[in-house]
Amino acid sequence: MSHDAMMHAEDFRAGAALGVDHRKVGMWLFIASEVMFFGGLLATYLHYKYILGFPEASGLNIVQVGINTTILLTSSLTVVLALSSIRAGKGGQLSIFLLLTIALGLAFLSGQVLEFSHLYGEGVTLTSSVFGSSFFTLTGFHGLHVVAGVIWAAIVLVRGLRGAFTAERNMGVEVFGLYWHFVDIVWIMLFTLIYLIP
Amino acid sequence: MQGQPVQPARRWPLYAGVFLVLILMTVLEVVIAGGVLAPPALNLVLLGISITKAGLVAAFYMHLRGESRMYTAIFVLPVLLLLAFAILSVLI
Repeated sequence: MSHDAMMHAEDFRAGAALGVDHRKVGMWLFIASEVMFFGGLLATYLHYKYILGFPEASGLNIVQVGINTTILLTSSLTVVLALSSIRAGKGGQLSIFLLLTIALGLAFLSGQVLEFSHLYGEGVTLTSSVFGSSFFTLTGFHGLHVVAGVIWAAIVLVRGLRGAFTAERNMGVEVFGLYWHFVDIVWIMLFTLIYLIP
Repeated sequence: MQGQPVQPARRWPLYAGVFLVLILMTVLEVVIAGGVLAPPALNLVLLGISITKAGLVAAFYMHLRGESRMYTAIFVLPVLLLLAFAILSVLI
């Protein structure tokens, strides 16, 4: 083993001794940066909502978005069950739960497309008003994160089918799960702050 | 290493229970927003429910509960910074 490789191995042993994994630390740091990213977008939305009142927001369909929220919450359950399955050595269940996650992610995105089409039909567009700009930017970026999550879930599914994960080696599933749950948490906050609070 | 459950199958009822609570809280939010309360009480209650929901997902589904506190610190620090900026922007 080369000197550099030995140093890397030492670093990983040090991480393990602290009870942390470098890959998980990396994902948590990425999530921390995402908190600031969505925080900035949300602050912009709330700032203009406070100043302008956003009367257009009264046209948002809370029940439809509530159903979409439930779909995303359900996908968080399927992701955590996927991880639990592979940790129990059940590769077949991992595939089933990942497939369900992909289906639920696509269902959420379909709901968002319907909502956006409805708003565009009513004349609320990305450039029609400050509400349109801040609303579509915020929820659109969240939707893009869901798209990335669905693609990532498909990659994890294919790797799982090829036998990349076992009861002992499943960090790829866990790190994907952290990302997906974070996207869910962002939506939990957006649902309340955009759709429910007047 | 911390965070590696010994018997993952035993966690299924816990995950299902958390899911049920999340759904019930979502329904509660929609009902409350429908006119049960008026601002500012409405805003505070809705914010409280959504923060609780986010906390449940982080604690149980992201396994922050029971894992190294370093992960929690990495996650909570930017949230606190964000709150500090929000409070400062209101005060200044």
